[in-house]
Amino acid sequence: MKLTRFNKDQIQKIILSSIGFVALIYCYFNFFLGPLNKSRASMTQAIADLQAKTASSKTEMKKTANLEVQAKAATSNYTTLKATTPEGAPIAWFPPKMRTFFADQRMDKAAARLESTADYKQPELSDWIKDTWAVELPQGDYNALGAAIAKLENTEPLLAVEKIVIHATPEEPQYQQVSLIVQTTLLRR
Amino acid sequence: MALQLNLLHEEISEHRQRQRDPLKLGVMALSAFGALLFLYYMWNAYQTIQIKSHLNAVESEWRKVEPRVTAAQKRAEELRKIIDSTKVLDDIIDGRFYWAPFLAKLSHCVAPNVQLIALDGGVAEANNSITVTIEGTGAAREPRAAAEEFRQLLFEKLEESYSEVKVQFKNLEDLDTIVNVGGVAMPSARFVLNLTFNPKPAPAKVSAPPKKIAKTK
Repeated sequence: MKLTRFNKDQIQKIILSSIGFVALIYCYFNFFLGPLNKSRASMTQAIADLQAKTASSKTEMKKTANLEVQAKAATSNYTTLKATTPEGAPIAWFPPKMRTFFADQRMDKAAARLESTADYKQPELSDWIKDTWAVELPQGDYNALGAAIAKLENTEPLLAVEKIVIHATPEEPQYQQVSLIVQTTLLRR
Repeated sequence: MALQLNLLHEEISEHRQRQRDPLKLGVMALSAFGALLFLYYMWNAYQTIQIKSHLNAVESEWRKVEPRVTAAQKRAEELRKIIDSTKVLDDIIDGRFYWAPFLAKLSHCVAPNVQLIALDGGVAEANNSITVTIEGTGAAREPRAAAEEFRQLLFEKLEESYSEVKVQFKNLEDLDTIVNVGGVAMPSARFVLNLTFNPKPAPAKVSAPPKKIAKTK
């Protein structure tokens, strides 16, 4: 068998060719195919992410539409409750409202004053405040008072009578002196 | 034997050497391999362009959907808040104590020989129970009995609608004052009653199922 002998010049050329081959491979993978694959992978990932987001968004929109239907009663109830708070500061409209209300119920000289204002502890009621009022009725009448309180409790859902004090007045036996502590839940304006 | 002279020997040898030149062969191999790599790159680039166009389509769809989704999310949050707030407000409304029925019951218990002087009632914040103090006078031959009758009647009336009812005398004392009731002079007694009750009605008692009668053979 005849072995091929390379001379020095040929060996140099083989080494040079090998270096060229390695350089070609290195450049190809590092500067051409690598970045291309990288960008392709990132785009594929972006497509998957966007498709997932789009799909979940469509589900979300369906859920919102269902929620809208379910919340119809609650929304209408909430709107009604919100409408119980007139515009303006409560101190401006609540005392006159009580005076008119009790005057209509045959109890004159009603006076209401604000005792305290507090926030609710429940986070759901962050838009609502709790006001405590003292209502004085110097010319109360037991029967008229019962009817008035019944009407007040039925027409004002966000009003609760927390305390009631009735005293007979010896000077005017036809009247009773009445003090009410009333709590109102009002929308923060 | 004729002598043959190959005068082209050197030229042929050079030609063969040129053909077997490693550098030339290497360049040719590299060029062929480079061409293959280029084709492979082009194929990949074509696929990447297709992916890019798909990405553009998906992005444009997302751009259309995004504002609607943001609005839907905002609305859903708003609706959830409304539902939760309404629930809590409904609980507050349902948890109120209605004083008017209580005052009506109290007025039904007051006999002509009993007079109420003062009433002081309130809702306890801790457990929503009701505490009421009633001060009054009763007149009869046995004025303490009149006060006791009033207490018992009030207890019975309150027990019809409320639970955990307690009606107790805080004070009961005879007075020196003689009161005229229906033209008859009668001694009187002053009483102070303490009432406590839970505004929720007592749960209905479930009667035990009838026992089966064992048949005798």
